[in-house]
Amino acid sequence: MKQKTIRIGVDIGGTFTDFVLHDEARGLSATGKRLTTPDQPGRAIVEGIVRLLAETNSTIDQIHSIVHGTTLITNTVLERTGAKIGLLASEGFRDILEMGREIRYDVDDLALEPVPVLVPRHLRLDIPGRLKADGGEFMPLDEQAVRDAVRHLVEEEGIEALAIAFLHSYRNPAHELAARQAVRALYPDLLVSLSAEVAPEIREYERTNTTCVNAYVQPRVHGYLDRLVDDLRVLGFAGELYIMLSSGGITTIGDAKNFPVRLIESGPAAGAMAAAHIARETGQRRVISFDMGGTTAKMCLVEDYAPHIKHDFEAGRLHRFKQGSGLPLKVTVVDMIEIGAGGGSIAGLDALGLLKVGPRSAGSVPGPVCYGRGGTEPTVTDADLMLGYLDPAYFLGGEMGLRDAAAGDAMESRLGRALGIDTPGAARGIQAVVNESMAGATRMHLAENGKDPRDYAMIAFGGAGPVHAYGLAKLLKVRQLIVPPGAGVISAFGFLVAPPTVDFVRGHVSPVARLDWPHVRGLIADMADQARRLLDAASAATVSMRTRLYADMRYVGQGFEVSVGIPAEAIAAGDGGALHEAFGAAYRARFGRAAQGMPVEVVGWRLSASLPIQPISLTRTREEGAEPLRGHRRVDFPDFGPVDTAIYDRYTLAPGVRIVGAALFEERESTFAVGPDCVTEVDPHGHLITTIAADAGTAAA
Amino acid sequence: MIDSEINPITLEIWWSRLIAIADEAAATLLRTSFSTVIRESNDYVTVLMDADGETIGECTLGIPAFAALVGRAARAMLDRFPASTWREGDVVMTNDPWIGTGHLPDIVVVAPIFHRGALVGFSGSAAHAPDIGGTFKEGPTELIEEGVLIPPVRLYRAGQLNDDLVQLLLANIRLKDIVFGDIEAQVNANEVCRRRAVEFLEDTGEPDFKRLGRAVTGLAERAMRAAIAGLPDGVYRGAIEADGVVDQPTRIACAVTIAGDDITVDYDGSSPQVAYAINSTLNYTRAYTIYPLKCLLDPFTRRNEGSYRPIRVTAPAGTILNPTAPAPVMARHLTGHLLSCALFQALSPLMPERVVADSGGAPALRAHFSGRAADGGRFGQLLFASAGMGASAERDGLSTTAFPTNSGAGSVEAMETVSPLLFLRKAFRPDSGGAGRQRGGLGQDCEILNAAATPIQMVLLGDRERHPALGVMGGGSGAPALAAHRDGRTVPMKSRSLIQPGESVTLSFPGGGGYGPPADRPVAAIETDLKRGVVTTDAVRRDYPMQALALGLK
Repeated sequence: MKQKTIRIGVDIGGTFTDFVLHDEARGLSATGKRLTTPDQPGRAIVEGIVRLLAETNSTIDQIHSIVHGTTLITNTVLERTGAKIGLLASEGFRDILEMGREIRYDVDDLALEPVPVLVPRHLRLDIPGRLKADGGEFMPLDEQAVRDAVRHLVEEEGIEALAIAFLHSYRNPAHELAARQAVRALYPDLLVSLSAEVAPEIREYERTNTTCVNAYVQPRVHGYLDRLVDDLRVLGFAGELYIMLSSGGITTIGDAKNFPVRLIESGPAAGAMAAAHIARETGQRRVISFDMGGTTAKMCLVEDYAPHIKHDFEAGRLHRFKQGSGLPLKVTVVDMIEIGAGGGSIAGLDALGLLKVGPRSAGSVPGPVCYGRGGTEPTVTDADLMLGYLDPAYFLGGEMGLRDAAAGDAMESRLGRALGIDTPGAARGIQAVVNESMAGATRMHLAENGKDPRDYAMIAFGGAGPVHAYGLAKLLKVRQLIVPPGAGVISAFGFLVAPPTVDFVRGHVSPVARLDWPHVRGLIADMADQARRLLDAASAATVSMRTRLYADMRYVGQGFEVSVGIPAEAIAAGDGGALHEAFGAAYRARFGRAAQGMPVEVVGWRLSASLPIQPISLTRTREEGAEPLRGHRRVDFPDFGPVDTAIYDRYTLAPGVRIVGAALFEERESTFAVGPDCVTEVDPHGHLITTIAADAGTAAA
Repeated sequence: MIDSEINPITLEIWWSRLIAIADEAAATLLRTSFSTVIRESNDYVTVLMDADGETIGECTLGIPAFAALVGRAARAMLDRFPASTWREGDVVMTNDPWIGTGHLPDIVVVAPIFHRGALVGFSGSAAHAPDIGGTFKEGPTELIEEGVLIPPVRLYRAGQLNDDLVQLLLANIRLKDIVFGDIEAQVNANEVCRRRAVEFLEDTGEPDFKRLGRAVTGLAERAMRAAIAGLPDGVYRGAIEADGVVDQPTRIACAVTIAGDDITVDYDGSSPQVAYAINSTLNYTRAYTIYPLKCLLDPFTRRNEGSYRPIRVTAPAGTILNPTAPAPVMARHLTGHLLSCALFQALSPLMPERVVADSGGAPALRAHFSGRAADGGRFGQLLFASAGMGASAERDGLSTTAFPTNSGAGSVEAMETVSPLLFLRKAFRPDSGGAGRQRGGLGQDCEILNAAATPIQMVLLGDRERHPALGVMGGGSGAPALAAHRDGRTVPMKSRSLIQPGESVTLSFPGGGGYGPPADRPVAAIETDLKRGVVTTDAVRRDYPMQALALGLK
């Protein structure tokens, strides 16, 4: 048997399914791309893997593992194409799901469209039985009511999956477990999601909602993953198959099938993990990850080589970029902001005659005007082309010619004339507006975390990221830029650098001063046991599991919590003082202040366990001997105007090369542009590290 | 539309930055404040003002109605402290209900912005403090009982905290740490606003905000004027009644005069001021007049002082909408929230496609519970829950959604964790939405049990017991508010009562008014409502007899 040294990452996107292959033994990395096959996403995966193996002279039995990120869950929720499901709720509380947080997500819009609810009222049924806040029973569960309800939902309504969410089940799952048992006795094959397992956290709406989303996507996810496993087995695959979690970790197929809601941000997490990997390679402890593609830009903080994590996420928004218009979930995700700014974002004038860019996007069809595929509205990519950032003859490595005349015409007729400015002026305007909107969103994201962008370096990737990184950095007063090799496709490498991870939470509200330590230790031991079981299944390797403990804490009376890392010794010793101290420090770091002498309580306990991962290097083989300088062209930089700019072939630049001044670094999937006030160096890993001079000029009015 | 001195691209970018500056200040306020009121019920606002105290950038969320008031408060402070007396590092605050946002818990904090030695603007914020001393009384009362009144005073002078002032203030309130923490959070927010504003001037090379302020307020003003000019001139009247105070319903009468591109709202004919806490100062009246009008006329232009210039609000002194100091004003929302209803009723013939029927949550119903928990410790718990919103031409009213506030709801599990309350039900209230072509939003029933061993005190503060949310364009009324024990005893909407151990009370939040004649409601919509159990067959037979026949309901 051959040694298993190949790892493959597969990212299913809306248009393309991306592949990366890395073979540590041969120091080999390769990428591939197939059109996504939406009816049967697994088909593109299998075909893509076969092709990639052939291209790299590899065989299926050399594959150690395949890591897969999927947009199936997020799309199912967004398009509302999930299963017909039922909900069993505590008697008197079936409407909690539809009432939601009782807020208007847009305070200016009188005719607000309500957020569609996943389970209509007639499929939500009340079940007598009630637990109290301390977990004690107030009224026993009526199991006959459970049987009657589920019989009705299955026989009369034809539900495909069931969610069960009772009050205070995060504290005591007994009623939910008993209800599931009653359901199983009748319908052993019905998929059942329990809120006590999916999201055992206090707050009934968010927990119920998370459970319903889990049930809603589960039948589709089961069908999809079962088929994928079969297809790969037929191919002779005998390695491990992992799925990317929203938190940036990876997990087993079995866990993914039980809790598909945890995969909701599976795709975007990979980019953040890739950025974290690059941060480590370049030794940057404080980084803004900036990923700009065709439709959106995503920004994320990476500190100490790990992306920021949060424990809530809003899925399936009615208005993609409007907070509150979606379904709030209690899941662990990489903390990113996403805004409607990408290469395909369309520019136009609003009712007041002001220039707006996005969030509407031309997507890949018809795409920007310059693609020549029928697009007529000027986009960010068109502006980038007009300003010299893109080479019309070397887009996608020359596979696609860009039509600059058409782009210029569109800009002139749709914007320039109305604004009374020339075409380059309109193009500069588009760039300035889109860069400013990304800068504004980044500043806000950092402000919410109490951070200042000036203290950070920026890692830019995605097709449009390296094009706009310099402009964005100037607005944010970020002084250092890092652009990895293969920046246009780097995010798929995130799959290969993500560790097997499991995250658990147990809701348990108690003042720190009155914590029931034996109970807490029990909760933690239980989570650690589960973690070990799951990670054992994920890997036969006998490496030690790394465990981290967190307490979600707050001042008594506050409505929000802060997750605080807690040393295991404090738990073992029952040291409330240590908890207070850790909370005070975390609170100060995040909010700039802490209250004196106010009582603190714990709302829940979290355990995150992960296995170490073999470090890989993304270094690519350089094309020796070739001449890096390709020529010059005029590029219009903010604050400088048109500058004669040197063009370099990124693939031929050797580590240690230092380039002073304006430059373009072209590679197949992206172009990195830096202005005259920059110095750029190639580091040993092939990353371009650019330093921007501090005394930037003032913007012109 | 543009004839500004600044080109439309630069203007778009700069305008976005003005709002981003206010939003960043809001993020700082939310981040550093301690109290739940600010964070969870969105009771705050942050603004950037020019040197005249006119708002040029307002935060996106929070309570938009209050933004205009911070500008007014800043101008009142300028009267007290002329521009030449301000120094870098000053912070002025006030909670005067006639200068700020209408009751004592709301504190307005304003700080100057200097650039190259010149006063170029102000940063401002308003937020609801969780305690301001005093005692709330649902009966007759006076301002002095409602808490500490802070006239415009310097909290900081040239960067120096006025510690004597702080000591005096904190000596008169209960939650000292939290309140001072929240005031400091406002100071922080203003400082972030100031810093970003100065950075903006440095980045752009602008000497001050005059040119840009002119451009953005000019555009906002013109957008609002264009919307007003599109309406036929005339005087449009609306009047509504509320339960008001004990045996004394209150009346709100408005005359909306549209003349060219100006709009004047006059509240002559409204009730005289009362000895209860429901008086709405003219400032609050202004805020809750301007906000619904902005939503109606020009919802999506970014808000600033220019948006408000075309709107004049007047009310005779001594009325419930312009009470003379020292009238009690603590629960001014019980009156002020109703203004949207009167205004929409008045303008419904002009803008039938835009108005919304009365909302059950205008005004919001609040219930406060207090007593002893099982362990003997005291607890106090405010119930945030929403009534149904009015229907519009476009769709059924939103169920259990607050309007004109946006205060949201708390979690039952969270409330039960910190109190001996046990909710037996929190569910849609069937048949509570007013009948109409579009049905009013549903209210909700919250049934709450006293699970403690001792009585729990319940203070109710609401309205709409005898005056339900009215429909528009022929729509029917929503269900009125009701609070009742299991044995049928009812509890008045403005009252203080006891819930005995083992006893429960059901609070029924009102529904929203309907839109258009019920006869026009499609049968399919009624069928769906029946299937979902949000209307009963009895109600369908009563409110929609034709459709009931079509559905074969006997």
